[in-house]
Amino acid sequence: MRTINRREFLRIAGAAGAAVAGLTPHFGLFGGENQAGSAAKLIVVYNGNPSSMVQKAIDALGGINRFVKKGDVVVVKPNIGWDRVPEQAATTNPELVAEIVRLCLKAGASKVKVFDRTCNEPRRCYHRSQIEQFARQAGAEVSHIYEQKFKAAAIPNGQQLKSWPFYADALEADVFINVPIAKHHSLSRVTLGMKNMMGIIGGNRGEIHNRFDQKIVDLNTVIKPQLTIIDAVRILVNNGPQGGNLNDVREMNTIIAGVDPVAVDAYAATLFGLRPAELGFLVEAQRRGLGSFDLNLMKIEKIDLKG
Amino acid sequence: MVTARRISQLIFFIFFIYLFFQAAYPYDTWIPADLFLRSSPLIATATFLATKIVIPTLIIAIVLLALSLLLGRYFCGWICPLGTVIDLGDRLNRNFLKGRPNTIRQLRSWKFSILVVIVIASLFSVQLIWFFDPIVIITRSMTATLYPLFAFLVEAGLNLLLKIGVLQDQLFSLYDLLRQRILPVHSTFFQQSVLFAVILVGILLLSLISRRFWCRYLCPLGALFGLFASMRFTRGIAVASEQCIDCGKCQRICKMDAINDDFRSHARSECIECMSCVAVCPTNAISYQLRPKLAVQRVDMSRRRFVYSSVTGLMTLGLIRTGFKSPTSAGQVVRPPGALPEPEFLDRCVRCQECVRICSTTGACLQPGQLESGWEGLWTPMVNARHGYCEYNCNLCGKVCPTGAIHPLELEQKQQIRMGTAYFDKSRCIPWYRGEDCLVCEEHCPLPDKAIKFDVREARRPDGTIAIVKFPYVDEKLCIGCGICVTKCPVPGPGGLFLTNAHQQRWGQEPIF
Repeated sequence: MRTINRREFLRIAGAAGAAVAGLTPHFGLFGGENQAGSAAKLIVVYNGNPSSMVQKAIDALGGINRFVKKGDVVVVKPNIGWDRVPEQAATTNPELVAEIVRLCLKAGASKVKVFDRTCNEPRRCYHRSQIEQFARQAGAEVSHIYEQKFKAAAIPNGQQLKSWPFYADALEADVFINVPIAKHHSLSRVTLGMKNMMGIIGGNRGEIHNRFDQKIVDLNTVIKPQLTIIDAVRILVNNGPQGGNLNDVREMNTIIAGVDPVAVDAYAATLFGLRPAELGFLVEAQRRGLGSFDLNLMKIEKIDLKG
Repeated sequence: MVTARRISQLIFFIFFIYLFFQAAYPYDTWIPADLFLRSSPLIATATFLATKIVIPTLIIAIVLLALSLLLGRYFCGWICPLGTVIDLGDRLNRNFLKGRPNTIRQLRSWKFSILVVIVIASLFSVQLIWFFDPIVIITRSMTATLYPLFAFLVEAGLNLLLKIGVLQDQLFSLYDLLRQRILPVHSTFFQQSVLFAVILVGILLLSLISRRFWCRYLCPLGALFGLFASMRFTRGIAVASEQCIDCGKCQRICKMDAINDDFRSHARSECIECMSCVAVCPTNAISYQLRPKLAVQRVDMSRRRFVYSSVTGLMTLGLIRTGFKSPTSAGQVVRPPGALPEPEFLDRCVRCQECVRICSTTGACLQPGQLESGWEGLWTPMVNARHGYCEYNCNLCGKVCPTGAIHPLELEQKQQIRMGTAYFDKSRCIPWYRGEDCLVCEEHCPLPDKAIKFDVREARRPDGTIAIVKFPYVDEKLCIGCGICVTKCPVPGPGGLFLTNAHQQRWGQEPIF
């Protein structure tokens, strides 16, 4: 398995950042009240095991207590979309999910729910991704998606969609923590945090895939995660989002965390050698004030657990 | 003895239900879920005759058939799950049946006629057992009718409770628990389920004419056991002539109308060893003996009737064979992975729907076919790719096929064997007709090197604007025909892709590419 070394990685990231700075004349608005404060702060942790990296990342963001209050109902939303094993990098790293669950419970969450609307048969996905087992051991309530729990939610600021069914557990949660895995995707080029929100919607999801950039932003205006933690322990660089070929997997041992969902995605895009401005959904999201993809304006804190 | 028989019936029925629920993902049992089907000597006989070979999985059925040389039609009375269901129905019918004549003996020969028709047809490779074998009937009814009904009612009940709005969390945990094994994960609906229900209910309603009507007069499996029972080496029901007081209670209680009017003898091909007569006899004149006694009884089948039945068999198979097969619909018949080449597949497939059942618990692509491949293919499993798809990591259908019509494949083999090929309908595919990106098909294609690829090109949209669009196409050499692209295509109705059996590779055949 080929791994990109850190220098190469930083070079790509730096180049991407510079390019973005040159390309975007206007500065993005940091929208959403939950992103107030250290909005543009982005934490990148690498070279640790998934649990230690996520602990570090959350600490650097001000600790879990900043996000989870006693008695809160928390939704931790990984990507469990496919009947694949963790080594194939199609689903979120189970240890990472479990550690987030543990941290939330330690902070006093009354309940931590873990679910995803899968593409393959749900029991296969929950089982083979190992998320079911790990999250349950960590104390989460892991359950399948139920048609009965979808509720039509209005999308007042929607451009393509005016209403779409959303999962009640996600709508009603006190805290929503988005935990996607970074993967190649032919339509959107990469699937990261914003695309991961497709796991909480009902209806015919295939319909989201045309005029995708606008529709995915429409959906992201309904539920705004308080925290996005991107799993880049292993990333899938080709034949995503399902993969299946281990040659398409790169071990990055990286975790990216932040409160601005656009910023987190923007940084993660650079792992694939992409400039954030190349990604239509990030441009659209910034235009609508969901966050900023301008890497130069972010305060990026990089933590190397090796040294 | 009657109690023992009832307990046996109950145990086997519960075992049958248990195995039915075992025939589901993840299928981690060591008992084959198709055990009852493997145990039907009729399935064994008909498939051996049709294929002209001995299928190893079915040898147990031959052992059970040989046992009837000692124990008569024990299978009908003590084991057969359809027999148990009919007995239950008859019990509910008790009052209605009281005082009705119990004898229509001339109908006894029908079941032998049906057996002859089936045997003749199988000799010429036309399967008919699927309509008549009781194990097939009950398995198919369970899969396609009773279980969906059960699931529907349980879910309706749960939904009703959920609407009340209390204990939501507990109810959903219960739901989650039930979904692991008992309830389906996605709704299970099957083509022709109403027809299957009508057949089952019809069989039960025949009991309004007389008890165990099906078993007495129609069941060809019963006929096969009866044939062997008539040559049995043991006595079975025996009457001490001097003790009999001619009260006739035994004849009245006999479910099978097996006891002759002298009350001292019976038709061995009819007796199902239910022991009711032994229990009812006021003078204990009737006993059950396994002492040897060699005497072959004639079954109720005249030579003339045998000839008539054989001719009927030939006519039937001829009619089925000469039925029109539409090339269009036949090209859409996509068989499960590992299916034998079509003629051998049809020789073996008994339409029990075990594969359909287990498939419905995961990818849910298989449905009982209609007349797509002619009358020969009625109710055979075929993929309905708009409803479900073949799970890339699933190879369960072959594991529950009792006759090996679907060869059990290792997962690696299954992931390479080609069921068919998907094609785009460019007049319906969003990028092609509308000039907008979509690629849902490509996203879902499970192959490590995706069989759906795309070109990025400029396109003129219907409104005249120019856009850069990703145009998907199928790489025919890579596609294995799992159908997930067809299932997930967001275009309603026929969809932007369709599945055909082009380039299919049946078990034992070389790959096309």
